[in-house]
Amino acid sequence: MPTLAAEPLLQASSLSAGYGKIRVLRDIDLTVAAGEIVALLGPNGAGKTTLLRAVSGLLPWSGNVRFAGRGLAGASPRNIVKAGLAHVIEGHRVFTHLAVLDNLLLAGYDLPRGERAARVEEVLVLFPEIAAKRHERAASLSGGQQQILAVAQGLVRRPRLLMLDEPSAGLSPVLVDRILVVVRRLHEGGTAVLLVEQLIEKALALANRVYALARGSIVLEANTEEADLPQRLEHAYLATPRHTS
Amino acid sequence: MVESIVSTGVAIGCIYALIGITYNVMFSASRVFSFTAGTLGMLGGVLGSLFIAQMGMPVAVGLLLVLTAGAVFGIITEIVAVRPVLKSLDQHLYVLSTLALALLFQQFTAIEWGTEARPFPRLFEIARGGFDQQFWLPMLACVAVIIGLELLYRFSLVGRAFLAISEDNYAARALGLPERSLRMASFALAGVIGTLAGFAGGEMLLAFFGNAPILTFYGFVPVALGGMGNNRGAVVAGLLLGLFQQAANFLVGGIFASVAVFTVFIIVLLVRPEGLAGAALQRRV
Amino acid sequence: MEAATKLHQSRATVLGFTSTFGTALPFLVLLLVGIGFPLFGGGYWGVIATRACVYWVLVSGLNLVVGFAGQIAIGWVALLTLGAYTTSVLAAGNVTPEFPPYLALAIAAVVGAVFGLIIGLPALRLRTFYFAITTLGFATIVTQVALAWQSVTGGGVGVPGPIFPEPFSSQWGFYYFCFGLAAICTWMTANLAASRFGRALTAIRDTEVAAEASGISKPALLIPVFLFSGAVAAVSGGLFASLQSYITPDAFTLDLSVLFFIAILIGGRGSILGPVLGTILLTVLPELAAPLVAWSTFLYAALLLVIVLAIPGGIAELLDFKNRRPLASGRAIIPRPDLLNSLLEVSRDPGALTLEQVALSFGGVKAIDGLDLEIRAGQVHGLIGPNGSGKTTTLNVISGYYVQERGTVRLNGAALPILARHRRAHMRIARTFQTPRIVSSASVIENVMIGGTIDGEGTFVESLLALPRYRRDEAMLRATAMLALTAVGLERLAPVRADRLQHSELRFTEIARALMLRPAFLLLDEPAAGLSAEEIERLGALLVAIARAGTGVLVVEHHPDLIFDICHHVTVLNLGRMLAAGSPAEIRSHREVVNAYLGG
Repeated sequence: MPTLAAEPLLQASSLSAGYGKIRVLRDIDLTVAAGEIVALLGPNGAGKTTLLRAVSGLLPWSGNVRFAGRGLAGASPRNIVKAGLAHVIEGHRVFTHLAVLDNLLLAGYDLPRGERAARVEEVLVLFPEIAAKRHERAASLSGGQQQILAVAQGLVRRPRLLMLDEPSAGLSPVLVDRILVVVRRLHEGGTAVLLVEQLIEKALALANRVYALARGSIVLEANTEEADLPQRLEHAYLATPRHTS
Repeated sequence: MVESIVSTGVAIGCIYALIGITYNVMFSASRVFSFTAGTLGMLGGVLGSLFIAQMGMPVAVGLLLVLTAGAVFGIITEIVAVRPVLKSLDQHLYVLSTLALALLFQQFTAIEWGTEARPFPRLFEIARGGFDQQFWLPMLACVAVIIGLELLYRFSLVGRAFLAISEDNYAARALGLPERSLRMASFALAGVIGTLAGFAGGEMLLAFFGNAPILTFYGFVPVALGGMGNNRGAVVAGLLLGLFQQAANFLVGGIFASVAVFTVFIIVLLVRPEGLAGAALQRRV
Repeated sequence: MEAATKLHQSRATVLGFTSTFGTALPFLVLLLVGIGFPLFGGGYWGVIATRACVYWVLVSGLNLVVGFAGQIAIGWVALLTLGAYTTSVLAAGNVTPEFPPYLALAIAAVVGAVFGLIIGLPALRLRTFYFAITTLGFATIVTQVALAWQSVTGGGVGVPGPIFPEPFSSQWGFYYFCFGLAAICTWMTANLAASRFGRALTAIRDTEVAAEASGISKPALLIPVFLFSGAVAAVSGGLFASLQSYITPDAFTLDLSVLFFIAILIGGRGSILGPVLGTILLTVLPELAAPLVAWSTFLYAALLLVIVLAIPGGIAELLDFKNRRPLASGRAIIPRPDLLNSLLEVSRDPGALTLEQVALSFGGVKAIDGLDLEIRAGQVHGLIGPNGSGKTTTLNVISGYYVQERGTVRLNGAALPILARHRRAHMRIARTFQTPRIVSSASVIENVMIGGTIDGEGTFVESLLALPRYRRDEAMLRATAMLALTAVGLERLAPVRADRLQHSELRFTEIARALMLRPAFLLLDEPAAGLSAEEIERLGALLVAIARAGTGVLVVEHHPDLIFDICHHVTVLNLGRMLAAGSPAEIRSHREVVNAYLGG
């Protein structure tokens, strides 16, 4: 669906963030247009998770971040979720003491009761493997199923932009493909996706555009149709720009 | 004689258990132990005596006011002593800030209410003796709180949100849960439970500002022995503590009973620092 | 090299002298005011002044427990009670034969030391809050026992306090007695604060993990502290009893305990001057206006709340003018690798640190799955791999923080004892941490000196009394620390309080601290994180020089730049197993490595 909006759905410019005194992200410029899938790639320690945390309000940041036409400066994670930006954090962290159904209901905490129940049912249709276990405690799910539950949580509010932090980590190839199928269907339905991934080939196959992050800066930005991306990526990660000798 | 030990022991054990639950509710919401739990218990008795005996309010109104005051104190604790220190890197500051706040409340009570123990009004017009209300009121309060919490956690979304915040605060924030409001609500709930404990136990403990340090210590023993955040453990440990204390009182007399309780407590903690039911904490490097 | 070392020593001495005079000045002022006090203070204020001195005797010892060791000991009034009753009962001669007051006081000190240890020991096993509660319980118990043990303590009626013989029986005579003891306590605790023990205590308080890595053993350190604190608290009790003339159990309220505790926190942890001023302030404050007496504890609590929320560093932070001076912006860290040879003096035996088939799981996940690794002296060995590959876990096993389920870690052939983290330092295995672990409120050079704690020879008592061996230790540690700081490039920041430093400077400070051990093996956990490209280059040169001086260096890293530039040997981990090992060139072109690293 082509968008005519002048401003992209998510726009970060000169974004810097870190933990305490440690500066991780340095002057990042990044955009995600409505309805597109953007892959964010990079080696460990590059700052990918930090970037998502800054955008969703979990970390303080400096610079400029705008979502759906509004600045996010000072916004709490709760308000950002309400505005339509969902962040599925790394590590399949679900509430293991609560039932699957409760995990999903909590994802719709701010919604009116009826709407909440309806959305949860919608999401369960997408993921029959956890629908079958709806009343069981999340602790009884396997790691892969917990990850699916985490992604499902992100979908309960029908976000305009869904940010996924390494959804494939620790998953079997079958489950990875399940999730990517869901992501593709979301994309077809108009949801934008910002996907942080380690599986480069799968990410490139799915995404419209790709950013590569290394050592806290964007080192590559390209459309996924462009030629020899894999080599360019490798070069971007491992290049040692200081080396002139 | 045995009857007396059991009824007193269980009753006072219920009070200790409730203070332990107060500690646990605050801990679940913030990963912080607050010194104000025992002070809340003391305030329940003092305010109950103030509203009902001194100001002549009906029992139900007095109770409502006491619980409201408890909720307010709980919220004040969260805003003044907990929230500011959660942001800082020095985790131990919460011990000092909650200690300071608890002392402020205690000292204010000592000055305005007086340092003498004053009687707590009889809540129901029933004659004394037998299985008296001073024994079954704390038990009733304890049962009510346990059932209430079960219902809250099991059937309300807010209760489940409390559990979520307690298990994984970061994931809860990322999901968009109103973490700050939920924490304030938890502290308000803890305030209600703490003052209820003091109110129900008012006749036994009297309206006395010096109950604060006593309840601070004896209310923490169920938490230490039962495991941090473990309410069921707190109830069991509280009851055992109450019974042990009364039995020791009878056998060796008041002072040495205290020494006995304290010694057992220290020994258990030294042998199993995580409590009898708690899980050992893995240290991160 | 000799000239360089001498230069550092003399510079250190000058620094030491000027800073000593600066810190001694306030104490000298207090000393003069105290000695001259009777000239301008009346009888009533004389009692207040005596009381402040008596309290300070206790607080000086408690300061080591609370302010330095960081233990929340709220119920220390128990020791005041014990000391007061022991001295009074022995001196009165009703229950025991009559003892001369000085002897009674000495015996009380011994009793206090023993009970100080009993109250304090749970701190080694219990978490902060739990320990605080137990001290509270202890205080309540002691008061109740005093009330109940009527035959000895007189129960609610009480006992008369001891009367000290001439010239200390008059009001001013007694004042000078107490003042003298207070001055001695100040001197002793100030000596300890400026010794390796004082610094080690703050290390345990703020970074227990790093303290262990520097060889500091918490029990060995806390035991003499509790003994000393208990003893002076009991002496304070004896003086208190004499001042009161007559003691009953309700003189020993929790309010007093609160006063002592808050005086230290208002004064500022890790300081001597702060708590002195705090004690004086809290003793005098209620006397300034009649209504204040009743509200005194309320006021103390309010002050404590304000301090905790607004100025956690207390009075000491307010008086720290030195650290208000702005630092130069755009500071560069310029290491001097040439100084490393005189610093390290590593034996030329080419030893090795080896891992044989080490395996470790966490809750069903294999963190390390049969790993072989060899770190040779004089070489830089890189350990890389994606997140979750087991790099940091491996480092933690070598440094003794985790124990492996299978396999052995050997140093020159001999198996390393498991979980003995603080023994690693004695074996000259040093490490740094992913996030710099330092004592924020201490200066940079004090932080580095912590690294050399185990090389000191002076004992605890020698440090208290400032005997020659303690002085030699201090001079040696300070000179070595300055050398280490110059070697890593931070010598200009030596006197600066550590929390004012940038992240990269803290990283290099940690390295300087590790170098104090003259390590045979140095383990670094992601040292390049958060450093600029220039700083990474300088770090690399420094590590290469450290290796060239004979140390075996293990670098756990993400950054390919650092690894490929400086390592002689690289091991790549993936999912806890070794994926590849070889020279940087070999690894760089290894297909599987690139894939694992990039996740393809």
